[in-house]
Amino acid sequence: MTGWLHHLIVLPIVLPMVASAIMLLLSDRFRQGIALGTTALLVAIAAALLMQTMAAGEPWVGSYRLGNWAAPFGIVLVVDRLSAMMLMLTSVLGFTALLYALARWDRAGPRFHVLFLLLLMGLNGAFLTGDIFNLFVFFEIFLAASYGLVLHGSGQERVSAGFHYISINVATSLLFLIGVSMLYGVTGTLNMADLAVRIPNVPPEDVTLLESGASILGIAFLVKAGTWPLGLWLPRTYAAAAPPVAAMFAIMSKVGIYIILRLSMLLFGDEAGMAASFANDWLLIGGMATIAFGTVGILSANTLTGIAGHYILVSSGTLLAAIGTGSERVLAGALFYLVSSTLAISAFYLVVELVQRGSAGEEAVSEPVFEDEYVGAHAVEEDNEIGVAIPATLAIIGGGFAFCALLLSGLPPLSGFIAKFAIIDGLLAQRQTVAPQTWLLIFLILGAGFAALIATMRAGIDMIWTPEDVKTPALDIVEAVPIAILLTICLSLMLWAGPVMSFMEATVSNLDDRAVYSGAVLPEPPAESARP
Amino acid sequence: MTPQHLLLLIVALPFLGSFAAAFLPTRARTQATLLAGLIAVVGAVGIGSLYPAVSQGQILLSVTPWLPSLDLNLTFRLSGVSWLFAMLVLVMGALVILYARYYMSDEDPVPRFFSFLLAFMGSMLGVVLSGNLIQIAFFWEVTSLFSFLLIGYWHHNQSARDGARMALMVTGAGGICLMLGFILLGQMAGGFSLDTVLASKDAIHSSPYYPLALALILIGCFTKSAQFPFHFWLPHAMAAPTPVSAYLHSATMVKAGVFILILLWPVLSGTDLWYFAVAPIGAITLLIGAWVAIFQQDLKGLLAYSTISHLGLIVLLLGLGSPLAAVAAIFHTVNHATFKASLFMAAGIIDHETGTRDIRKLGGLWNYMPITATLAMVAAAAMAGVPLLNGFLSKEMFLAEVLEDHSGTLIDAVLPWLATIASAFAVLYSIRFIHQVFFVAPPEPLPRTPHEPPPWMRRPIEILVLACLLIGIFPAATIGPFLASAVRDTLGDQAPAYSLAVWHGFNRPLFLSLTALAGGLILYILFGGRLNAAKASPVVGRLKARRTFEAVVERGIAIAGWLHALAGTRRLQPQLRVLMIFALAAAALPFLFLGYSVGSERWTGVDPVFALLWLIGGSCALAAAWTAKFHRLAALILVGAAGLATCISFVWLSAPDLALTQLLVEIVTTVLLLLGLRWLPKRQPDIWPETRMPVQVLARRGGDLAIAIIAGLGMALISYAVMTRPVTDSIADFFTRNAYAEGGGTNIVNVILVDFRAFDTLGEITVLAIVAITVFSLLRRFRPASDSIETPEQQRVQADFDRRHADREVGDTVTDALMVPRLIMQWMFPVIITFALYLLLRGHDLPGGGFAAGIAMSIGILLQYMAMGTREVEDRLMVLPINWIGIGMLAAALTGAGAWLFGYPLLTTFFRYLDVPLIGEVPAASALLFDLGVFAVVVGSTVLVLIALAHQSIRTPRAARPAEPKAGEEQG
Repeated sequence: MTGWLHHLIVLPIVLPMVASAIMLLLSDRFRQGIALGTTALLVAIAAALLMQTMAAGEPWVGSYRLGNWAAPFGIVLVVDRLSAMMLMLTSVLGFTALLYALARWDRAGPRFHVLFLLLLMGLNGAFLTGDIFNLFVFFEIFLAASYGLVLHGSGQERVSAGFHYISINVATSLLFLIGVSMLYGVTGTLNMADLAVRIPNVPPEDVTLLESGASILGIAFLVKAGTWPLGLWLPRTYAAAAPPVAAMFAIMSKVGIYIILRLSMLLFGDEAGMAASFANDWLLIGGMATIAFGTVGILSANTLTGIAGHYILVSSGTLLAAIGTGSERVLAGALFYLVSSTLAISAFYLVVELVQRGSAGEEAVSEPVFEDEYVGAHAVEEDNEIGVAIPATLAIIGGGFAFCALLLSGLPPLSGFIAKFAIIDGLLAQRQTVAPQTWLLIFLILGAGFAALIATMRAGIDMIWTPEDVKTPALDIVEAVPIAILLTICLSLMLWAGPVMSFMEATVSNLDDRAVYSGAVLPEPPAESARP
Repeated sequence: MTPQHLLLLIVALPFLGSFAAAFLPTRARTQATLLAGLIAVVGAVGIGSLYPAVSQGQILLSVTPWLPSLDLNLTFRLSGVSWLFAMLVLVMGALVILYARYYMSDEDPVPRFFSFLLAFMGSMLGVVLSGNLIQIAFFWEVTSLFSFLLIGYWHHNQSARDGARMALMVTGAGGICLMLGFILLGQMAGGFSLDTVLASKDAIHSSPYYPLALALILIGCFTKSAQFPFHFWLPHAMAAPTPVSAYLHSATMVKAGVFILILLWPVLSGTDLWYFAVAPIGAITLLIGAWVAIFQQDLKGLLAYSTISHLGLIVLLLGLGSPLAAVAAIFHTVNHATFKASLFMAAGIIDHETGTRDIRKLGGLWNYMPITATLAMVAAAAMAGVPLLNGFLSKEMFLAEVLEDHSGTLIDAVLPWLATIASAFAVLYSIRFIHQVFFVAPPEPLPRTPHEPPPWMRRPIEILVLACLLIGIFPAATIGPFLASAVRDTLGDQAPAYSLAVWHGFNRPLFLSLTALAGGLILYILFGGRLNAAKASPVVGRLKARRTFEAVVERGIAIAGWLHALAGTRRLQPQLRVLMIFALAAAALPFLFLGYSVGSERWTGVDPVFALLWLIGGSCALAAAWTAKFHRLAALILVGAAGLATCISFVWLSAPDLALTQLLVEIVTTVLLLLGLRWLPKRQPDIWPETRMPVQVLARRGGDLAIAIIAGLGMALISYAVMTRPVTDSIADFFTRNAYAEGGGTNIVNVILVDFRAFDTLGEITVLAIVAITVFSLLRRFRPASDSIETPEQQRVQADFDRRHADREVGDTVTDALMVPRLIMQWMFPVIITFALYLLLRGHDLPGGGFAAGIAMSIGILLQYMAMGTREVEDRLMVLPINWIGIGMLAAALTGAGAWLFGYPLLTTFFRYLDVPLIGEVPAASALLFDLGVFAVVVGSTVLVLIALAHQSIRTPRAARPAEPKAGEEQG
């Protein structure tokens, strides 16, 4: 990748920034067009980058030196399969969520588009950067934008949940800084590739500080990922946020996962000397606890957004546990799951709003009512055995809801099934005898899917099938399109599961290949560059 | 078209048809029927055309790559047994579709019904034709889903919703178990393709996970095939339209479990575990189903429990593990489908014609619909096992098998008895069905006067009943070859010799059969009259499986709620506490494992002045924390003092740039916070005015204090450990060496900010812009607490004073008092602006830079607001902060992008010395333009926040609940 194409790497960051600066200067009229155009362009750029990483047969890592300063002194952006995939996911969610918002939600408060694009800028930067302090900066960008977006639309619940969210995240940012400075104190560098080179050579007496710093940093990311018990803020915040905002936030917990995956493979992989894989067991335990908490949350949630929020916890927990297992097969399945579940949650937040728009009460997930043993035929005669025609809009909404529910519970025919199969297959294939904690993890993953099935089915029956609620909701076609796009992608993931999974497998096998990563980022043979 | 393509097409057609049917108009009944029927017939013909190959023992495979790395390829596999089942699915489907055309009402939205039915047909074909375990599990779950949708077709009825929900929960849970079992099985066999699995019997039997895999697969099959104790969902599924009951819940879907048992019989059976897990469950289900069926008052309920019983019979046969029993199982599966589906259809006609399905209310229908009655009687006779009908044949084989010894345990002795009793029960409920419905005079007039249904509605029943007769009389000529190919496919070398003759002479099975027939008849004569009074089935009715299920679900959800409340909280305080505890633990754990060590650079001595400075700074910080709750003003001032100590420390440690920036930031933040303080609600000074503070509150606060102290000490220890280590060869050296040579500036901090790490700065100004915009948006809708709406006391006193004096206007006092400071502040304005510009320009070489300059500039504007008041300033000075922000961001980003024109990466800087007349050589770096952008964003952001706060004071206080500002309304 040379010449002009080379600058493609930095565009996902610069483009939304320039676009939002222009929007600040122009009048309201142009905002929708500029914002939508920008997100569409971002999708195209991400697609181009993704193609680039796929086109290269062997491991390919592209880097971009900002200010033309060589790493590790300047900041570099790095794009490999994993980051290109995350970029693509972010851009797609960005496009669909924004499209959905254009129907009505963007007018619920001022400067929605600016904040939305800057959120995308922060997310893209976090996925691209190869510098751990620069990562902090991008975290701050997307967090700041998310503060604004949570509050978008106002109202007591939003403000209250939003302030909780801000408090937790400001405290977390402090931990982030402490962790970064400790890593810098021990290794003397901030560049991830350089860190990967230096960490194996850290003298034994410094390993303690290194691990401690990395742990504090890890806590910060675990908070973002929503790990139990650090992620209790998540379901409430997302439920309070405006639906398109929540749909976009579906990717935010994955940023924490992405960084943990990246750093644990790159910095603390098998070659990391004394500090190798020091946190894997903790990730496994934390992941399982998170799945368990998410599951009970899904079962006890009495709103659809509550189900969605707790499902995010399940999703994070599954991914963390998968990282904790350290198995490549499991990780490949987990990445598939990451894409599938993120798209599903995003679509679910959008559908939920449409479903609830139609029903009278918002919190209408009621208790089941049953009569006793089935013997008599009396009940039947009172009922009307002529079907009720379902209006087209309701059919669309109901269909969308059903597909989201299937995705969340990991049932066929959409991609959730493949994702779950791949993870479990990988877990069982790990070694000859399956360890008890692996069984527990399998049980939790399947249990969470079943809980999602029960909860969404209960809610769906009450919202869509129960007669008093059948009131045709107003549906703008602009609102159906983004949901359709997201679900179509999930369907495609299913149909092209083979190529997608081989991409994931290639991605995973690249992850702990520090020679390739460092070679692409650092100018000279890495060993010498550490001592200029 | 090759057979492989045909196979793919046969599975794909129903799905395509389903999709097409969904778009038909709501009332297009005939079109939908034609579409669906055509697809079923085409499929049946297609499958039929493949029979010659199958009959020769060939196995047709169609493999399309799908997910090769996990050994999951789209595989369709047609063998003897799957041919038989596929044919069953398609032929039954065609008949049911024809029947449904007449069954469904004119007003029903029938296309939706056919759409679901076709999709179900496709997924059922997928189950029976898949050649890959995972693919089977895939279609398996899809059948559950469409069963759910079809049961809930009349979703406005409570019973339909409940039945659908229960069916999906039970079969869905079973499907999950089945999938896990399949994954285990595939891993034992070394692959998921059916051929691999079927060839790996020894590997599977010797695997330590065989019992677990078997258990999981059995749970899957038993839930789907309604085996005890999972049988309870099936009767509730009868809320579905009758064609659905006939098709899904008697002929096909409930046979999916049986199908898997047959399919995997060669590799799973043959162990004690198989026998003891499968045979008793089948036997119990057989008996319980038959028993409960006797007491049903709903026609469909009777048929549902009878189905359960017959499924139990098939499962029992498979459990016995002998090849002959397997043959009988396959045979009975087909027979049951024919007679049970026809009975369901007959029940549907009766319901349709009379308006009720209640056996107690029905009677004497022979007089109104003799043809239907005859058909139902034949089918019921087949169900009871009357000779010359197909039910008799397979039942004979069943009885012959239970008479054999299989395990040498008590089960061998019990089974013949049990089988006979269950058969007698079957006879009893069959007789009751016929006698009550068609012959006994009804207790009260029927809701509607019945007559024969349209002939085409009866046609499917006629065909099925004819099949019952033909198979029953000429078994070898009709079903013989198909059964033979299925048996050969399943059993391979083990395929036994069996005879399909009607007459085997007087033997023990015939004796048992006759006993059962006679027993059933006698029982009906003795007790038949009393059955109409039954409210529930005795003994078994007490189990109340459904109620137990509901209770378990309810309890499960309640426990989940309890656990969720226990393990989570919505409150902020505990969340922050947990965060701190976990961060502490995470930081401390490595030290606990590996020990704490101080670096080699030891104690360097303490400068007493510096120590004093930190003592003061620290005390201020502590005092600020102490007073933060009730004395906010004091706390703010103390925080300011602590910040000042930090500033001085920076100077002390030779970082003038940091010190300057810190000082300016301290000033601005303190002033902005002061402006905000006024709007915070009052604190309750004492939460427990009378009583003493509760112990748990004390404990909690004590705990928080301990956390704070430990965290502080921990940070100190970590800092000490880091700082006493020798300086590593860090990237900082590079910056000091290259700041001037490469970056063109002598102020290293500034060169780092605008050049080496300009990208960070670009990000940080974005953060600043976002925060300002957010604060502004938030405060525009801010509604102060009720106790801070009224004007503060000082203002009231001043206003009172002004009002009491005739020569004074309200507000004069404050104007007078501020006269001198105001003058100074106004005069300072140009000075500060000049200072700010100076800071900006010299930044690259001396302390200063865009950030410091921007803050200095905003201090100037801030002073104007303080001196003159919001209104007066804004009359004279027009700052459009959002434009400043926008322009600043653009300037910074575009300066960076300018490097692209020269083919360099973003933010590559350019510098040279320009010879300016009069002034001489002036450094001109592109970094200056970048810094200008930083400057503009900082000014814009600070002023935006200032304006947001300042405008709070000139808002019109609204007494009652003020209306929310309308969405989209904005001000600059």
